[in-house]
Amino acid sequence: MRQSSVIARRVAAASVSLVVAAGAAACGPEDNDAKSAGGDSTPHKGGTLTVLNSQPQQDFDPARLYTSGGGNVPSLVFRTLTTRNRENGEAGAKVVSDLATDTGRPNKDATVWTYTLKEGLKYEDGTAITSADIKYGIERSFAPELSGGAPYLRDWLVGAADYQGPYKDKRDTKGLSAIETPDARTIVFHLNKPEGEFPYLATQTQFAPVPKAKDTGTKYEEHPVSSGPYKVVSNDNDGERLVLERNTHWSASTDAERKAYPDRIDVRSGLDSSVINQRLSASQGADAAAVTTDTNLGPAELAKVTGDKDLAARVGTGHFGYTNYIAFNPTIKPFNNVKVRQAISYAVDRSSVVNAAGGSALAEPATTFLPNQKSFGYEPYDLFPAGEAGNAAKAKELLKEAGYANGLTVTLTHSNSKDFETSPEIATAVQDALKKAGITVKLQGLEENDYKDKIHSVRTEPGFFLAHWGADWPSGGPFLAPIFDGRQIVKDGANFNTGLLNDKSVNAEIDAINKLTDLDAAAKRWGALDKKIGEQALTVPLFHPVYKRLYGEAVKNVVISDWTGVLDISQVAVK
Amino acid sequence: MSAPGASGARQFWRRLRTQRAALVAAVVVALLVLVALAAPLLTAIEGQDPTTYHPSLVDSARGGVPIGSFGGVSAEHWLGVEPQTGRDLFARLVYGARVSLGVALAATVVQVVIGVVVGVAAALGNQWVDQLLSRITDVIVAMPLMIMSLALLAIVPSSFPRPVLVALVIGLIAWGNIAKIVRAQTLTLKELDYVSAARLSGWGSWRVARRELLPGIAAPVITYAALLVPTNITVEAALSFLGVGVKPPTPSWGQMLTAADVWYQAAPQYLLLPAGALFVTVLALTVLGDGVRTALDPRAASRLRVGTGRKREAKA
Amino acid sequence: MSGFGGFALRRLVGAVVTLFAISVIVYVVFYVTPGNVAQITCGPRCSPAQVQQVAEQLHLGDPLYVRYWHFLEGLVAGQDYSTGTSVQHCSAPCLGLSYQSDQQVTELILAKLPVSLSLVFGSMVLWLILGVGTGVLSAWRRGRLTERLLTGITLAGVATPVFVIGLVLMIVVCGQLQLLPFPQYVDFTDDPEQWAWNLLLPWLSLALIEAAAFARLTRAAMLETLAEDHIRTFRAYGVGERSVIGRHALRGAFAPVIALNANNFGSAVGGAVLTETLFGLPGIGQELVHAVNVVDLPVVVGMVLVIGFFVVVANVVADVLYAVADRRVVLA
Repeated sequence: MRQSSVIARRVAAASVSLVVAAGAAACGPEDNDAKSAGGDSTPHKGGTLTVLNSQPQQDFDPARLYTSGGGNVPSLVFRTLTTRNRENGEAGAKVVSDLATDTGRPNKDATVWTYTLKEGLKYEDGTAITSADIKYGIERSFAPELSGGAPYLRDWLVGAADYQGPYKDKRDTKGLSAIETPDARTIVFHLNKPEGEFPYLATQTQFAPVPKAKDTGTKYEEHPVSSGPYKVVSNDNDGERLVLERNTHWSASTDAERKAYPDRIDVRSGLDSSVINQRLSASQGADAAAVTTDTNLGPAELAKVTGDKDLAARVGTGHFGYTNYIAFNPTIKPFNNVKVRQAISYAVDRSSVVNAAGGSALAEPATTFLPNQKSFGYEPYDLFPAGEAGNAAKAKELLKEAGYANGLTVTLTHSNSKDFETSPEIATAVQDALKKAGITVKLQGLEENDYKDKIHSVRTEPGFFLAHWGADWPSGGPFLAPIFDGRQIVKDGANFNTGLLNDKSVNAEIDAINKLTDLDAAAKRWGALDKKIGEQALTVPLFHPVYKRLYGEAVKNVVISDWTGVLDISQVAVK
Repeated sequence: MSAPGASGARQFWRRLRTQRAALVAAVVVALLVLVALAAPLLTAIEGQDPTTYHPSLVDSARGGVPIGSFGGVSAEHWLGVEPQTGRDLFARLVYGARVSLGVALAATVVQVVIGVVVGVAAALGNQWVDQLLSRITDVIVAMPLMIMSLALLAIVPSSFPRPVLVALVIGLIAWGNIAKIVRAQTLTLKELDYVSAARLSGWGSWRVARRELLPGIAAPVITYAALLVPTNITVEAALSFLGVGVKPPTPSWGQMLTAADVWYQAAPQYLLLPAGALFVTVLALTVLGDGVRTALDPRAASRLRVGTGRKREAKA
Repeated sequence: MSGFGGFALRRLVGAVVTLFAISVIVYVVFYVTPGNVAQITCGPRCSPAQVQQVAEQLHLGDPLYVRYWHFLEGLVAGQDYSTGTSVQHCSAPCLGLSYQSDQQVTELILAKLPVSLSLVFGSMVLWLILGVGTGVLSAWRRGRLTERLLTGITLAGVATPVFVIGLVLMIVVCGQLQLLPFPQYVDFTDDPEQWAWNLLLPWLSLALIEAAAFARLTRAAMLETLAEDHIRTFRAYGVGERSVIGRHALRGAFAPVIALNANNFGSAVGGAVLTETLFGLPGIGQELVHAVNVVDLPVVVGMVLVIGFFVVVANVVADVLYAVADRRVVLA
């Protein structure tokens, strides 16, 4: 995924109001907070659910949204071929069918995927949803006017690399030949290589149907045609306020996942994160039936909430597959020396890093690059045990071996955002820990855009910097491949393989796992691959975030999956 | 007032001494500057430094709130420790004074120098010079300070020393009002008898400006500058709030305030310390500014006006 | 009043020149700002080919002067643009389209401006009341405890950044005492009462910051007037202290207060960035900070020009009022 949160936004910029959205780390294997918190009383239909968010829903076009599993608010309006299982915890990391009757039928080598639509599917205007509409929805996501989505469709579909969408090429009415629609209920995808995880991809909003006759191009997001339980009533100020009401043509009998209890959803955004948390904790008036889909409790708020039983009972805890780490560029001295990389791995003080990220309730120390969840194939390992507070002695020893007996001065590049991830707080914690091992760290703080440009360009990539990576879907594939697959090194654009690793055996293993359609078997091998890559010490995993989010007093049926880590609005009831 | 000389200075000090409030304020300002200068010494006495983490002093499970009463106040940590990091607050506060006062004073100096030069030149120059400089001043005044700072601070390479940069950016962007005041004041003074006399006696513009006008505009400029210092401190804080202020781990009051505001309930002293320091500084500087103005020119003590250049317009 | 006509014309030309200068500066500054605009607009995972397509679509490859020329053209003649499925027209004065949202910048401004103006207008009333009131009281009670107290309070306003005042006010007033709802913008035309209630705290936060300058100015101007001969004469004739303060001394403060007010009003339209951000008011300032973060040049230029427009107009108003007020003072 892109490195940002579950909420789709094109720009994960250092927004002014993101003070609290940080997150922190980790997920314990089993965390029951979420279950005990919401499930006690029976949910009923009716009422208005208020969503208080800091980031406006600036993109509400299914072509432009970059989501993990179809997003939270978008998923109320856009149904997709498959979707995420709306269950608590681990079960919620499974992919299930949505518009389709199953999660897809692959051919033998997983290069052709066939889906059949359920019967009786309708748009908000009562017209039938056809497979051609799904094809059209995918095609328009290739238009430069509607850029923003994930790269997989372009990478995987046969002949899609140069396709520019249906607007540019009006003569070619057949569109993308990689997608066939033999009849109104069948859709077939032809991929250029085996992709056992295609069902995960089909959860993204690009797989939502768009009726060609209603397409208004860049203006479509103002009133997209709903296939889900709610339709857009108003979209003011470019997603600042979004009001959704019931789509009467949606039928629960075709949708096993969305509960759709409230009659109305009122999304208000552009709010300061501390204000959101104040409002949710005060829970007065309409805020009693309020939730947030993008704002975590910050450390300061957590300190207050943990002392208050009533408030603590209204905190939903979740885990999203996400890792914050230190990245090395091994082409730059002294990081070309694996001993230096190992020394830094040993010297890192994860307890102070975790504190800087919000403390043990919001961040869990990470020693693996993969998130510590089963669906990713998590296999615990700690190759360079630093202990709680860093192993300065071992680090000094390694530095000596590397020829830096008298210490070493390096520059750590980080962003100036306020995300508590790649931000100055984390950088100073690392700086302080490395000092004990005789490594003097100079900090280079860059403005958000500058930082992203620099670390994602092969030409300007610094040697030693803070980075993070999140899951496009809860599996090892989108987590490891963009970062460690040598063929994904991009020389003239945004490159995410920052370790510039091009290891034949790693590449071959990635290809082998992609062939598997048994996702559990695939997960195991991703876990093993992660450990193997870890030996090269190209990254120092720091922490995995834990999401803690308040919700209002009247909110019931809180479901938090390991897929998104946040409360699923499609399940929430306010009556 | 007359041109400053030995007697002028003596008169000034005599007048200043008679104002008790101003004297107290002067002592406070002096103390603050002293604390800022002696920050390494003071922290050495305490035995702490502003950057070392003390993870054991904060409660990690509760978001990193300091352990112990009053935010972890102890013999080792006189004012407690910072939430999340456990860094020593006293050390951060006194080191923060260096940055905050330094940045604010430096920015003020830049503003005053540019403002006075532009203002006097506009008032004394011919109509074209005046028009040009006044338009430039208008442009500067009409640019939103925050936005331009955001952009400018992003452009300059990060290797440039940040506190200097912040001071320069604030100084270069916010000199418009002082230029207007100086221009208006200079226009007023120009009409006064002794200045006209000096001109008539053949003095050049530069000499007139230096000998006769500068002392005359000193009072409003000093008064305005005394207010600019605290404003600049809060501008630095606001830039920190927007993420482009002085860079960590260098502490500044503005940065502390920014980080601390959400801690207002969980760790109030974390917010109150920098807020209190800022308040005392602003109060002292303002009272001192008033005192200096009164001492410089008791009769024109209230001539502080927002300049609008009405004289020149009316004549033209 | 041919003199006035000439004055107005000169100021108008001056204002236009100022705004042009601002737009050029913003174009140049943001041209050199780091950040790959096409990549930001396209998304972080876009391939180089896609980024190239987006760059072409936004004309990012053109030299600076060409892009600026297009901007001027749009301003004078409007421009056509494609939504993919149809061609739309952005009529003059067209400030272009947002890179990020494809919305017309003029529409964006029209949507955000009422919020910012509501905030600044309301706040202005409060800061005038607070500032001038405090100034009058402290001039009247000069040297007494009241004056020191008032000075201290207004200075606390100057010394505390708005994000601290605002947040603490919100926690106490809305969260703990529950006297007011947490602010969220309600359009004046929808519900004037809710509009005012919701804006009360933002108004107060902003006013507290600005009030001190007015208090000082009022006090200074009044003391100056009080020291003048004619006031002494009034006093000698037995005119009551209240009347002296109210009728005569206050009038002396009128001109400078008006001038400062016009000045601050203009800059506050854009300067309320922090207030808008904190209170989640969807105004110009908030939008502008966002646009700067994503290097959305058309939005930045458009919004900075609007702010500049208000400052320039406010300055002209200040000059006129100052001239008018001053004459009255002389007449008195």
